[in-house]
Amino acid sequence: MVLVTSVRDYINRMLHDISGMKVLILDSETVSNVSIVYSQSELLQKEVFLVEMIDSISVSKESMSHLKAVYFVRPTSDNIQKLRYQLANPRFGEHHLFFSNLLKDTQIHILADSDEHEAVQQVQEFYADFVAGDPYHFTLNMPSNHLYMLPAVVDPSGLQRYSDRVVDGIAALFLALKRRPVIRYQRTSDTAKRIAQETAKLMYQHESGLFDFRRTESSPLLLVIDRRDDPVTPLLNQWTYQAMVHELIGLQDNKVDLRAIASLPKDQQEVVLSSEQDAFFKSNMYENFGDIGMNIKRMVDDFQQVAKSNQNIQTVEDMARFVDNYPEYKKMQGNVSKHVTLVTEMSKLVEARKLMLVSQTEQDLACNGGQGAAYEAVTDLLNNESVSDIDRLRLVMLYALRYEKENPVQLMQLFNKLASRSPKYKPGLVQFLLKQAGVEKRTGDLFGNRDLMNIARNMARGLKGVENVYTQHQPLLFQTMESITRGRLRDVDYPFVGDHFQQGRPQEVVIFMVGGTTYEESRSVALQNATNSGIRFILGGTAVLNSKRFLLDLEEAQRIARSGSHMV
Amino acid sequence: MATRNRTLLFRKYRNSLRSVRAPMTDSKSGVGPVIEMASSSLLHPKRSYAPVSTEDPGSSSRGGAVTVGLPPDWVDVSEEISVNIQRARTKMAELGKAHAKALMPTFGDGKEDQHQIESLTQEITFLLRKSEKQLQKLSAAGPSEDSNVRKNVQRSLATDLQFLSMELRKKQSTYLKRLRLQKEDGGDLEMNLNGSSSRADDDDFDDILFSEHQMSKIKKSEAISVEREKEIQQVVESVNELAQIMKDLSALVIDQGTIVDRIDYNIQNVASTVEDGLKQLQKAERTQRNGGMVMCASVLVILCFIMIVLLILKEIFL
Repeated sequence: MVLVTSVRDYINRMLHDISGMKVLILDSETVSNVSIVYSQSELLQKEVFLVEMIDSISVSKESMSHLKAVYFVRPTSDNIQKLRYQLANPRFGEHHLFFSNLLKDTQIHILADSDEHEAVQQVQEFYADFVAGDPYHFTLNMPSNHLYMLPAVVDPSGLQRYSDRVVDGIAALFLALKRRPVIRYQRTSDTAKRIAQETAKLMYQHESGLFDFRRTESSPLLLVIDRRDDPVTPLLNQWTYQAMVHELIGLQDNKVDLRAIASLPKDQQEVVLSSEQDAFFKSNMYENFGDIGMNIKRMVDDFQQVAKSNQNIQTVEDMARFVDNYPEYKKMQGNVSKHVTLVTEMSKLVEARKLMLVSQTEQDLACNGGQGAAYEAVTDLLNNESVSDIDRLRLVMLYALRYEKENPVQLMQLFNKLASRSPKYKPGLVQFLLKQAGVEKRTGDLFGNRDLMNIARNMARGLKGVENVYTQHQPLLFQTMESITRGRLRDVDYPFVGDHFQQGRPQEVVIFMVGGTTYEESRSVALQNATNSGIRFILGGTAVLNSKRFLLDLEEAQRIARSGSHMV
Repeated sequence: MATRNRTLLFRKYRNSLRSVRAPMTDSKSGVGPVIEMASSSLLHPKRSYAPVSTEDPGSSSRGGAVTVGLPPDWVDVSEEISVNIQRARTKMAELGKAHAKALMPTFGDGKEDQHQIESLTQEITFLLRKSEKQLQKLSAAGPSEDSNVRKNVQRSLATDLQFLSMELRKKQSTYLKRLRLQKEDGGDLEMNLNGSSSRADDDDFDDILFSEHQMSKIKKSEAISVEREKEIQQVVESVNELAQIMKDLSALVIDQGTIVDRIDYNIQNVASTVEDGLKQLQKAERTQRNGGMVMCASVLVILCFIMIVLLILKEIFL
């Protein structure tokens, strides 16, 4: 509840003290922050009768001085310029400016300069600068996510902007939680190290007054890690509800856009999947596909019961009862059709792309050993006509990540086969991935074959057999969380920034993954939190990845790296 | 959650910059807020209403040229509706009390209670219906910003109305149920009394008097059932009316949890509606320009001119 509640509290405070009819003005980033936690009907209750974007509002010339303007935007220079223009020609009665992050003094100066009409009533910083999709999972929705893969020399200003945005997001999170953490980072990642150090500088030097909160028993921990330490998780196909929707169709700010998938009636073209608002989703978002099917069937049966009793209107009381319950009935009907549509479409996709077959091999590659058998399986699937290009690419990548050093000849053969089968495959992408996230670059024990303990555990698991072949994979994050819980996160691999030091175990841990998180990892975190181990984990990233997005980032980074090397 | 107030710093900068700017603009602005407002109204001739400061105590400006101006007319309608809704709410509280009182066992007839309940229910239903009709007036055409505000105000009021209607219906149905139960018990009680008294008098009276008692019993039960039917009829009528209101309102009210309840979806929609509107206007303009009518008219005019010229020439040369 933590993240969603913090953002909601900020918005409530913004709107609470201002009476009368209001207009809420957002920018393209804060609109996601707000829409994901606050609904339109709640805004209407707070007397906010118009919501506008700061870009379009500069264009219109209508004067509406009976409305009070509440601005909630990021303090970027772009937004400051737009505000300047609007303050010079004020359209509303009052102007209340709320910024989602720290303002520089120069920015305040610029604003004060342009406020000739003294239209501004207040200027505040309300730190809701992240998208809180789930109670323990947030994202920053950053567009140019691929920059973390490139060395700093390629695009120094771009990387600086990237790093600044991340630092701002993390700072806002801790201000919202009112904590100042001890910071650790993954040693092997330059980007993570840079972000960790800049965050430390901000929290302990530049704005140490602002971050000086009441000390608790043990400081919380901020751990900054790199996506490339676990490139396997975003490549795998998913079978739990939320992760599967994102993998097959795409979940953006808890909205699903089905228009590209199938032609559906108007009210089912875009749907909302929010654990806060949808009780069925909340109880099923981490369940696997088979169980979801059964639960949906049960829900449909319940609904049909209700519908049948509604058909049977005989007395006045029945009629009265029907009209009484109509809103509930309509809501239930909408919910049932939403879930049925989603599961139907996903089943169709699974069938068309033969994902059951592909995913079995993927899980074997990720979890179990046997290079020879793996090679056979991957070759078979490459030869299979119905397997799509992206699935072939993923299989080869997974194989390459696992058996990078074993049997290079067969690896080469797979590359060639992939290139010949997939016309759109950009050559060298798999090699680029290996260069970024190969076995030498990785810190953690991704496949459980470095550490003796892990090998033993894997053998035990192999003997015991798994409950469900398709969900055997545990993301590396799970092991990281376990190490933190046991207090055994190695200093060598994850050093502290500067002279930070942590005594004992932290009670709150924020893990920030540079490069993006996945819903499989957010599920892992939610399940870990549910075990009440005494530590609360929060997960965040620069974006929420599915395999398509991860591959896009790789391609983009590869393209830039290539063009850079050409220039040099 | 931490926040930081920068208003003080902002005001400090603003004041210091104003004093820097003031010597330069003194000659232009003159003295006092009146002339400032006049100059601003000259600069903004498109304003549809005069910039008069309202009685709103919240508006800050000490001499600022922009104050909270008079709102457009539809705001009066929306305020009227919210006043009606508030009135309906207080009456509902009264109705609840009256229901409770009527259900208490009394020795009297309970007719005044019934009247009061009837009148209250009618008043509330009337208020709700009036508000609903006025709500329809709030709808506006055209994809302007003002129309969005109107639509949202309409939605919010519709939600309140729907909630009130449902509350009223629930109150009525519980009252009706309890009334029925009571009446049955009461009727049985009466029956029992009569029965016992008739049994007591049985030995004394003849068959004629016995049948008289039976007749009075039947008459009484008839009267009771007629009364009950009337009450039920009234409640049913108001139930029907409210059902109609609910149906109309449900078109306006947002379904929570759906895509329509998302702020970003509504912003996108507005943008696309405005774009669509613009496209339609452009298309209309183009069709009008290319319209056959315009062509014909211009051709005819040209022909007229030619004929006139020919006529004049004929006159000259003949």
